[in-house]
Amino acid sequence: MKKKKWTLFDYVNTLIMLLVLLITLYPFIYVVSVSLSDSSYILQNKITFYPRGINLKAYKMIFESPKIPKAYLNTIIYTVVGTTINVFLTAITAYPLAKKDLVGKKIWMTMIIITMFFSGGIIPSFIIVQRLGMIDTIWAIVIPNAIWTYELIITKSFYESLPNSLYESAVIDGASEFRILFQIFIPLSKASLASITLFYVMGHWNSFFIPMIYLNDMKKYPLQIILRDMLIFDTARRSESLGEYAALTPEALKNATIVVSILPILALYPFMQKYFVKGVMLGSIKG
Amino acid sequence: MASLKIDKKPVAVPQPKKLSLMKKVKRDWQLLLILLPGLIFYIIFRYGPMYGMVIAFKDYNVYKGIINSPWVGLKHFRNFFTDPAFIKLFRNTFMLGIYNLFFTFPFPILFAILLNEIRNIKFKKAVQTASYLPSFLSIVIISSMVIDFLSPSNGIINNIIAFLGMEKIYFMIRPEWFRTVYVASEVWARMGFDAILFIAAITGIDQALYEAAELDGCGRLKKMWYITIPSILPTIATLFILKSGSVFRIGFEKVLLLYNPATYEVADIFATYVYRKGFEDMNYSYAAAVGLFESIVALTMLLITNAISKKLSEQSIW
Repeated sequence: MKKKKWTLFDYVNTLIMLLVLLITLYPFIYVVSVSLSDSSYILQNKITFYPRGINLKAYKMIFESPKIPKAYLNTIIYTVVGTTINVFLTAITAYPLAKKDLVGKKIWMTMIIITMFFSGGIIPSFIIVQRLGMIDTIWAIVIPNAIWTYELIITKSFYESLPNSLYESAVIDGASEFRILFQIFIPLSKASLASITLFYVMGHWNSFFIPMIYLNDMKKYPLQIILRDMLIFDTARRSESLGEYAALTPEALKNATIVVSILPILALYPFMQKYFVKGVMLGSIKG
Repeated sequence: MASLKIDKKPVAVPQPKKLSLMKKVKRDWQLLLILLPGLIFYIIFRYGPMYGMVIAFKDYNVYKGIINSPWVGLKHFRNFFTDPAFIKLFRNTFMLGIYNLFFTFPFPILFAILLNEIRNIKFKKAVQTASYLPSFLSIVIISSMVIDFLSPSNGIINNIIAFLGMEKIYFMIRPEWFRTVYVASEVWARMGFDAILFIAAITGIDQALYEAAELDGCGRLKKMWYITIPSILPTIATLFILKSGSVFRIGFEKVLLLYNPATYEVADIFATYVYRKGFEDMNYSYAAAVGLFESIVALTMLLITNAISKKLSEQSIW
């Protein structure tokens, strides 16, 4: 590569990218700064880029609060149980569908694809879940969306891309379909399954609408519902009263809760982003 | 001669592929068993609700259930179509969808093209990695950040406005600002994620093209215009068609979190109306009727775009 002189274009372009970087990262910097700051500085609007009067009071309040640790635990449980069911069902359901001459393949595929374009809508879905007696149980969170069709199709395409000889030699060795699936196909699809796992984990961790309609018992609320009550309702009330400052929850506590809720994701981010990009790309092959 | 005859006998030819259904089922029983749990899921939780849509033609009563609730024909649809809210919802859903499509679409492309021109690999990587950080955030957090940053009392945007000597804006209660706020936050949250595909498409361009152009004396901008953009045009076209097909499927969760009675006039869309009628007023049947109407409109939209794209792609070069 020849070294080239920087032109005006390079300067402008770098400036634009720096601006993008700033706009993307600033909300994170702000949230962390406020969570660590002393409330007197926050009330005076003195926090812009870094914390002032650094303290961990807000984080202590999180641990002492009656709701947040419980909700955090609930989110972890829903995410772990939900993702396990998601990935297991997706990985096994995709397998028969990847077989070229499976009996009734056209029927099954059509049946599945239709649901991508047409759905019964939230009210009938709610009624089904209610009729099954799942309201206020973990099952309402983890079962009604156990398979995401998009992820199912990605997994199916991935299985199809594995060499056919692999399957044939296993059959000759007398392996059953179950063994071929669990001992050959699934281990070979680790990378692809990792990226669908990531999407399912994100889906559960960030899910708010499903728990909102299916859970009434506050003890079962996940973090996102607590966050909504704390962040949106509280703030909405404030702005409706035209700027009159009467927050029910201290700003530092709100922002500390945001930080705590995204911390696991940020911690895994460097490791996950590889699979994240991969997942997006896998999806595009099909399209 | 004799040997020829023997050759013609189809003794060694394997059985023809035409197996009877029973035999096929017998052959595939293991596979069908593996498929079963997934199929049950689809039948109960995807087709169950489709059947449940019949409540749109009934007066659903929780105690009577779906089957025993009385039929009322098109009552709920008539009520909905004659409701003044109908036109408003139609307009709001359509407008928000269109705004969202046209304003969120160009940014990832522009970002991908400009990012590609950055020479410092480390800086380039850093910007890209940071760019999809927001897509890991929940809608609740994004919405709360939006509200906080736009807050008239201590939001940074209003602080800047005040600093410039202008009057502070109460963004969240001003109907005229709702769509802008929604779309702008969508751009912020999704640009990096949506750019991934374009960045990949640009990476796939043959470097020889650029080298040839350089020999011909093309500058950076010319190379972008004559090589980068035409090369990713098929990706752009495909994604645009996909997105316009789902123009009616707006992320209603964010609307639900960002709107309030002061902005209902422009912010209320079909999905949020269904939510309020169903879960707040407990009017399940009416809400299901509105939901069914919305599903049909969305599906029609998708089929129309699909038909248009088929026509176009047959005639265009790709």
